[in-house]
Amino acid sequence: MNALQHLAQEELRHATRRHFLKESAFGLGALWLGSNNLMAASGAKVERDATKPLDTVAPSFAPKAKRVIFLHMAGAPSQFELFDHKPVLEKYNGKDCPAEYLEGQRFAFIQGVPQLLGPQFQFKQHGQSGAWISDRLPSLHKHADKLCIIKSMVTDQFNHAPAKLMMHTGNANLGYPSMGAWLTWGLGTENQNLPGYMVLLSGGRPPRAGAALWSTGFLPTVYQGVQCRSGPDPILNAANPPGLNRDIRRAALDSLNRLNTRTHEEIGDPETITRISQYEMAYRMQVSVPEIMSIKDEPQPVLDMYGANPGKTSFANNCLLARKLAENGVRFIQLFDWGWDTHGSNAQESLNVGFLKKCEDIDKAIGALLSDLEMRGMLEDTLVVWGGEFGRTPMQENRGGTANAFVGRDHNPNAFTIWMAGGGVKPGITYGETDDLGYRVAKDPVQVRDFHATLLQLFGFDHHKFSFPFQGLNQKLTGVKPAKVVKGILA
Amino acid sequence: MLRFPPIIAFLTLPLAAEVDFSRDIRPLLNKHCTACHGGVKEAGDVSFIYRELALGKGESGKTVIVPGNPDASEMIVRILSKDPDDVMPKPEHGPPLAKHEVDLLRQWIKEGAKWGEHWSFVPPQNHPLPEVKQSAWPKRDLDRFILALLEKENLSPSKHATSEAWLRRASFDLIGLPPTIEELDAFENAAAENLDAAIAAETDRLLASPRFGERWASVWQDLARYADTSGYADDHRRKVWKYRDWLIKAFNRDMPFDQFTIEQIGGDLIPNATLEQKIAPTFHRLAQINNEGGTDDEEFRVAAVMDRMSTTWETWMGVSFGCVQCHSHPYDPIKHEEYFTFMEFFNQTLDADIEEDPPLMPVPLDEKDYELSNKLQNEIKESEKALFAVRDKMDVTSSWKHPSDITATATKAILTIRKENGIPEFHADANAAAGAQYVLNFDAPLQNLTALRLELIPRDPKTASHTPEWGAEIRKFQLQLVDSSGKTSDVPLHEVIADEAHPMFDPNGSLHGKRGWGTYAKISKARHATFVLKSPLIIPDGSKLRVTILHGGAYLGSFPMVSRRGRLFVTDDMNWISHRDQPEVVEAIKSIEQAKQKLKVIPSTTVPQLVERDPEHPRATHVFVRGNWLDKADFIKEANTPKLFPPLKKEGPRATRLDLARWIASPENPLTARVAVNRFWLELFGTGIVPTPEDFGSAGEAPTHPELLDHLTLRFSGEMKWSVKSMLRELVTSAAYRQDSAVTDELAQRDADNRLIARGPRQRLTAEMMRDHALTAAGLISHKIGGEPIHPPLPPGVWQPFVKDTWNTPKVGDPQRYRRAVYIYYKRGLQYPLFGSFDAPLRDLCSKRRMVSNTPLQALTVLNDEAFHEASISLSKQMSSAPDLDSRIALGYRTTTSRHISKDRTDELRDLHKRLTEQYRSNPDEMKKIAANAEDAALAVLASVLLNLDESFTR
Repeated sequence: MNALQHLAQEELRHATRRHFLKESAFGLGALWLGSNNLMAASGAKVERDATKPLDTVAPSFAPKAKRVIFLHMAGAPSQFELFDHKPVLEKYNGKDCPAEYLEGQRFAFIQGVPQLLGPQFQFKQHGQSGAWISDRLPSLHKHADKLCIIKSMVTDQFNHAPAKLMMHTGNANLGYPSMGAWLTWGLGTENQNLPGYMVLLSGGRPPRAGAALWSTGFLPTVYQGVQCRSGPDPILNAANPPGLNRDIRRAALDSLNRLNTRTHEEIGDPETITRISQYEMAYRMQVSVPEIMSIKDEPQPVLDMYGANPGKTSFANNCLLARKLAENGVRFIQLFDWGWDTHGSNAQESLNVGFLKKCEDIDKAIGALLSDLEMRGMLEDTLVVWGGEFGRTPMQENRGGTANAFVGRDHNPNAFTIWMAGGGVKPGITYGETDDLGYRVAKDPVQVRDFHATLLQLFGFDHHKFSFPFQGLNQKLTGVKPAKVVKGILA
Repeated sequence: MLRFPPIIAFLTLPLAAEVDFSRDIRPLLNKHCTACHGGVKEAGDVSFIYRELALGKGESGKTVIVPGNPDASEMIVRILSKDPDDVMPKPEHGPPLAKHEVDLLRQWIKEGAKWGEHWSFVPPQNHPLPEVKQSAWPKRDLDRFILALLEKENLSPSKHATSEAWLRRASFDLIGLPPTIEELDAFENAAAENLDAAIAAETDRLLASPRFGERWASVWQDLARYADTSGYADDHRRKVWKYRDWLIKAFNRDMPFDQFTIEQIGGDLIPNATLEQKIAPTFHRLAQINNEGGTDDEEFRVAAVMDRMSTTWETWMGVSFGCVQCHSHPYDPIKHEEYFTFMEFFNQTLDADIEEDPPLMPVPLDEKDYELSNKLQNEIKESEKALFAVRDKMDVTSSWKHPSDITATATKAILTIRKENGIPEFHADANAAAGAQYVLNFDAPLQNLTALRLELIPRDPKTASHTPEWGAEIRKFQLQLVDSSGKTSDVPLHEVIADEAHPMFDPNGSLHGKRGWGTYAKISKARHATFVLKSPLIIPDGSKLRVTILHGGAYLGSFPMVSRRGRLFVTDDMNWISHRDQPEVVEAIKSIEQAKQKLKVIPSTTVPQLVERDPEHPRATHVFVRGNWLDKADFIKEANTPKLFPPLKKEGPRATRLDLARWIASPENPLTARVAVNRFWLELFGTGIVPTPEDFGSAGEAPTHPELLDHLTLRFSGEMKWSVKSMLRELVTSAAYRQDSAVTDELAQRDADNRLIARGPRQRLTAEMMRDHALTAAGLISHKIGGEPIHPPLPPGVWQPFVKDTWNTPKVGDPQRYRRAVYIYYKRGLQYPLFGSFDAPLRDLCSKRRMVSNTPLQALTVLNDEAFHEASISLSKQMSSAPDLDSRIALGYRTTTSRHISKDRTDELRDLHKRLTEQYRSNPDEMKKIAANAEDAALAVLASVLLNLDESFTR
């Protein structure tokens, strides 16, 4: 062991990373830069030590969940057509919306007095838990007893970009770290050959607000989500350029490492050692990432189960990939599926046309994902989350004051439904209720910050203490307003 | 095993005899007390932000602090209390104070509980140059401050860096590019003769290089949150590159930093502002807008205003101001209300989150045309003003009569007529839809008609004054005469005159079915337009008038641009018709038309411009209750700066943004020059003298060398007259900067972060430098200054913009493909991958420092990205100009690292070349993809190794 390695270990004994997370009086920015130097000290070998920013670190208390698969339906799916069964709304279909629902409310598109719109699809209760699920999600019916459905989600944003930022970063403004960045910062990465936080897109368009939804905000940039793509180059620049095969690359890297080691002997900058190990990790990622991101060698029955189709970009493919990434130690797997903004302003964005297709696209794949995780014994420590950024109105949208051509609903921040499964949440329960029209929460409201507090709890962190000092504040995922863990959904 | 005490111990050593409030006590209060007893919360009526409150009585009736008597001070009693209900801090809030902390507090109270302002809020002081033992070492005065601390710590400075190391460091730091081999050779020779003179000459050469502005513009762009798109959801392309070019030029001509500051904050308000001074405040138009369907323009206009406030504070004064939006500052004495008095400086600009990003200012492509364009634009404004003065006077002197009654019909809306104060008004229902058409019939209360006035009124003028309602747009306005038999005839209209001199769109559009007059996009008070007849109309007895108003469509897919409330007036004042023949009116109209014609032929682009609203139509700024923009409290009468700082000096009767700009750029402002100097230091040394450039407040880190910071600050705003180049010259020629950067074991342990500067800085290249370095080494770089953003190769699959936007990469060989990184199209929602991998921010918001990371994605970028691959091959071709392999290797190594190669490295690379050549010989298919023969292919890979060296990554 050289002097730097000694130093790193001594430092560790004095002050573990955990201690610093809580108490560093010098600001974590400074600490991180310091530890970044220290992390280099372990030498060129792939052996990891806890001062590395991406190494795994134990949370504050025993976690229930080890990883997340977050299925974000970008655009906000309608709760009335999937989970929030409202017979009363059916009764009042086509009637003017009562004034009390309109007073003082701001809508994105509704003007004047709109009409109520009854549920568009049939509902039944499923499983022993008797969860209400519509006929649009037949595969999910079988999993009813695994789901923890929260019907009482509330946000304070009713436009997509700010609401998405709120959901993923806890703040409607730009510049804050995403959930995935927070968790990767807090826990590190399990598989050092893969990024700890990966993002997969489907639906033909990126979500509004783009990269800000998986950014690190004020946390160091190593914790940002890595967007993966289908095709030969799943991570940017993972493929060697033309004319450089893997043997040639290896020969070149061997030389590079020796030259860099020589530089380190001369100058002693610990960053040089880190750089050598990062080049080695890059070399491994060139194989590990395309391998894991390829589904063409999956058995046909597995592909069929998901409805996956190698070579295409689809939500089903991404669900299968999510399982593979989860299996390989990726901490936070974020899926965005675009196309759920069912205003009724055109066929694609309507409940009577586009929505049917979107439901088909996700139903089989999500059912398969849940079965697959269960079969592999992974559901118990994998938290699956499904949801959008807000809910939809019980009123039919009348954009600009006139009825839309197709059937649709406007944005509603006052109530929306998400569900979770696995990873320490109570299976087979429905939490919270909305009023008779499904417009506002009637019982057990869950704010977005409460959801974040609960998520952190499941990962072994007290959200009050999970903070990063920046610009004079102990910044938290849960923000400055009081947040609470939703105890009623913890297993 | 630790052989040396870490420096961290030094920085927290027990303190000297005299207790200093801001150094010793304020940090203790912030750590243990202010979370509950501070700007956010005053639990038990106790606060430690202001002395008078701290010396007062809390809820318990006991005096918190009794100067001179610690034992009588409730604060000490509670800290020492053994009762878990009484003790402070409460056990659930935090650990008890350590003994030495209690001792400090006691000593401080005993000494009279003297208050002091936080160090950065008091003006910098002149400090004598410290005495040092190694008096031969310092090259500049600043070195004595560095050395004094090193000597106190029993550390010695490092040896002088090699000439090549200094030149590489200075070249990247000053111009963002590596030195060429010719420059290295010339400097080496000059340095051998006279090192100090060579360094001075080389520094001057670098500072005079046109590349200097490009390097420093990219530093400033992070603060300015410069991007080529408008942000949020749609992230449209936005033409702001003329501002970027302004920045480059400002740095290149060493515009004094105070002027640089004034022009960006208030350049548009400078009397007789040049076009460049009007471009500078585009700094503030770089805030994002939100065009997502259904978003409220007022909400995001307010968000942009608040972003401008935060950015101003953070960029120039290093203080976070955003938290004061919702409550008083948690640690520093800035009050909640002061946020809103400050907001008034920025709340009166014309821009309002409107999709097309108006107002836009034409800017000639060629700077030679700036003066002419500015003159013509001024002429238009002047003539419009003159024209408006004539008409405004008529507006006041005309006798306006209202009809006694109106009958109304409408399509896509339900209209009712109500009388308010005897005047009939039309009111539309809440469901009024886009494109609604109103038909209003009325008896004219006069026999002759020359003009009609349409007045639109908010439904609730009281709330609209601070929270405006959606406005209206008149697409087509028609007047008809209906005779007693019911026969209608059209009455031709000549023009539409708005109630302001410079309406955003030409009001006459309302006569032709185009976008014309309106209260677009929001209405905050009654507004009116005058519709003037072609010729006077005699209204026969029994005839009625009919006005037909066709409204605009929906805005942002959601908001019908339809009037909700309004009234009509008529006049027979002949002036409305005859004034168009008055010489000054004819002259003004002609001058506007001519100027517009002349402007049209100047090849121009546009920039979003920062313009004050017509003072006749001000916005009402109010305090937001708990920061909520919909919940308004007290009206703000006039803008002002927080009391904590020296007072604002007003030039005119009301405080303006220009007054603010001058206040910030004044030497009396305790923060501006300090923050600027610290930023230059941070860029050159890797860590600021204040290590938290984002926070100069009491929650930030204290400066490592406070006297040095004061010394440099006073010199910067004093003898250097705010010259950035002078300050940078001082830094790069200092002995501190000239040190070797090798890290000894002792330094690694005692001062891993190099806070004491016992060695020279060694920094990884920035994202921009990574690209520019590779292009330079490859001999590909194209040095053209300024112009539209460029689009270098992108990895496949990256380009998926949310709304349509094109990325056209110039072909191999086109110079546009090889321009510097500062010109790359910066899209907020879809960052150029190199920037993301090498720690450049998204530029959503003001970004004060880049955290330097070291990741595998960086390795993949330099190994495999198309731009770097192309550079490797090109570099290998440059190397081939040397006669043999060893000299090719030496040339490539010196090109990429600035160093002479050592024998062992030559051996390593020669061996590599041999192995690669063999591999390519046995694999000709692979070889053909990169070169025509195995040796050249091997050399290309070798060149890639050189670009990937740790030494290539660093400066």
